[in-house]
Amino acid sequence: MKVAGGQVLLGDLRRDEKRRNRKMRKLMTKALATAALLALTVGAQAKETVVWWDFLSGGDGVRMKALIDEFNKTNPDIEIQATTLEWGVPFYTKVQTSAAVGEGPDVMTYHLSRLPLGVDTGALREITADEMKAAGIDGANYAPANWQAAQVDGKQYAVPFDIHSIVLFYNKDALKKADLLGEDGKPKGFDGIENFDAALKKLKDSGSEYGMSFQTAGDGGVWRVFYSLFNQQGGEFYKDGKFLDGDNVDKAAKAAGAMAKWVADGVVPKQTDYNPSIALFTSGKAATLMNGVWEVPTMADLAKQGKLGFEWGAVQIPTLFDQPATWADSHAFAIPDRKGKEISPEKLKAVLAVIKWMNEHSISWANAGHIPAYLPVTQTEAFKTMEPNATYSSLAETAVFDPASKLAGVASPVYEASANNITTTVNGDMDPQEGAEGLRDELQGLLD
Amino acid sequence: MHSKTRDNWIAAAFVAPFVIAYLVLFLYPTVRMVILTFTDAPLIGEGKWIGFKNYVRLFNDKAYFNAVWHTAYFVLLTVIPNTLLGLVFAMMVNRQKGYVQSLVLAAFFLPYILPVSVVFRIWEWIMDYQFGIAQYALDAFWGERVAVFRNKYWAMPMIAFVTIWWTIGFNVLLFIAGLRNISQDMYDASALDGADRWKQFRYITWPLIWPVTALVLTIQLILQLKIFDQLYLLTLGGNVNNTMVLVQYIYKQAFQLNKGGYGATVAFSLFVIIVVVSVLQYQALRAKPR
Repeated sequence: MKVAGGQVLLGDLRRDEKRRNRKMRKLMTKALATAALLALTVGAQAKETVVWWDFLSGGDGVRMKALIDEFNKTNPDIEIQATTLEWGVPFYTKVQTSAAVGEGPDVMTYHLSRLPLGVDTGALREITADEMKAAGIDGANYAPANWQAAQVDGKQYAVPFDIHSIVLFYNKDALKKADLLGEDGKPKGFDGIENFDAALKKLKDSGSEYGMSFQTAGDGGVWRVFYSLFNQQGGEFYKDGKFLDGDNVDKAAKAAGAMAKWVADGVVPKQTDYNPSIALFTSGKAATLMNGVWEVPTMADLAKQGKLGFEWGAVQIPTLFDQPATWADSHAFAIPDRKGKEISPEKLKAVLAVIKWMNEHSISWANAGHIPAYLPVTQTEAFKTMEPNATYSSLAETAVFDPASKLAGVASPVYEASANNITTTVNGDMDPQEGAEGLRDELQGLLD
Repeated sequence: MHSKTRDNWIAAAFVAPFVIAYLVLFLYPTVRMVILTFTDAPLIGEGKWIGFKNYVRLFNDKAYFNAVWHTAYFVLLTVIPNTLLGLVFAMMVNRQKGYVQSLVLAAFFLPYILPVSVVFRIWEWIMDYQFGIAQYALDAFWGERVAVFRNKYWAMPMIAFVTIWWTIGFNVLLFIAGLRNISQDMYDASALDGADRWKQFRYITWPLIWPVTALVLTIQLILQLKIFDQLYLLTLGGNVNNTMVLVQYIYKQAFQLNKGGYGATVAFSLFVIIVVVSVLQYQALRAKPR
């Protein structure tokens, strides 16, 4: 029995040893894994990641991605992780809701026109003067009106990146055929509403299906043209808590009426969505196109690939009424106010460094048709000779931004009210006066 | 050891997961939403208690009553047509045999598996004012092109049509299941007694399929009262005031105008409407044929 007992004991011992060995091995593995993990974290800490959201697609998107790639390559200690979301209501709704629950990016693109609304809904974090000073961002490097548009109640909420507007794209071949092309290769005889109407008619008569195309369905396209024409009459859209006060409503009716006449006369296509409105121009069916400078890359790229089939140009919107004026907006960078998960000082430093770098390198953004907000870039030789930007950059002097109201801006109630009333008027389903009054009443109703 | 209390405890343990999920995920948010209707809260965050002000506003809000009317109009255009067409197609599919039946059934069911974004793109493309292929047909038969989703008179019926095209597959499926439950013997016996097709339908199929019909009608009613996605997408950029439905109005108030309290009030009114209408309808339907 003893022997047997001894064997049992020996067996127990051996098993114990094995178990210890296994335990030891496990411990070693754990230690190694932890060490590896630690090394990884240290590596990540040295490199600050900046989560970036934008709404830039098409030519804009391609150019922004190139800028981000270049930044990541030349700045080894900061890495931008970029996501592109759907432009407009979806983007801004997502920003607002995610900020409220402490989620969202470290930095994002933002339309300055929408800044009052963004601040009102608590989606944006203030950038203090000290923080900007520490990062080397100086307001003197921006046009005063542009810089102020990035403020609400004197507080800075964004840093402007560009000024973008609408321009008149034109088909040189079609204009030449209608004898509307000057010696300098620019359109002639488009100033003043009578001349403009006659020119569109002439273009249609000389073989173009339409004299001009713009997005006549939806909110954005109509609003931009309408707001330009309204301001060319010196109108005031919003003042002292009143929309289209006094005779401003008549000016709005006049602007909408002029647009409706184009559609009624068949010189501008009816009910045309954004992309089809561009296709009508690029396919040569419409002789001119009123659209944003952001479509410059579309034309430039098509021309480069030899797919456009005609010579194109772009000029400032002609003055149809009393004074030059063009709708404009500004892409800017802003930091969301993430509730309960505020941005850390180190991260903020990295974000501001990104913003500064982007502005200093915005010459490649100008390539997308925009006018850089950062003045030193606009004074470079490279920008002054960049076409077609140089031709239309004068528009910045008479640019009119959306009214500074929390109801205004991209994909805002003003856009929707404009779609409901002005777009309907342009397509002939409403009388201009009725449309202008409808716009006024709908917006005024939202104020109370 | 078999006591009533112990049984009850075990039963409670089994239903607890559901009850807890129901309380936390449904009842609690519902109560919070009702409380929200008495405040002026923004979309996110707290608001002040303002009593019945939101309700007073609701009853004086023309846009709200327009939304109620548009929703009712849409329900009228979809619920009964979608149900009856579903029955008709189901009977047609049921008469086919083998592969042909599967093929036809698949053809009806395929649109149903598409997400709304794809449905929107398909019909936006077909109906595009400038380039849409259906515009050539409209031009030929109607005499002119129509921006159907943006036209005051065309928009609702067209969206109802798209909705039926999209969702009818599911109704067809339910009806086929119901039709297969009706014994062939009844048809054989009635044929011996000299009943023709119509009489067979009138006195056998219709009463026996009625429970399924009542179910489909109720599901449809609740579903269509909550219409939002396809209508929102397809009418974007038109005069949305012409087609604004209740859920869209909630979205507008809460998400676009940042009025969480008033948005909740509209939402609560829709909740009440759905409960009342569907209970009434189900009771009414239960009492009918047989």
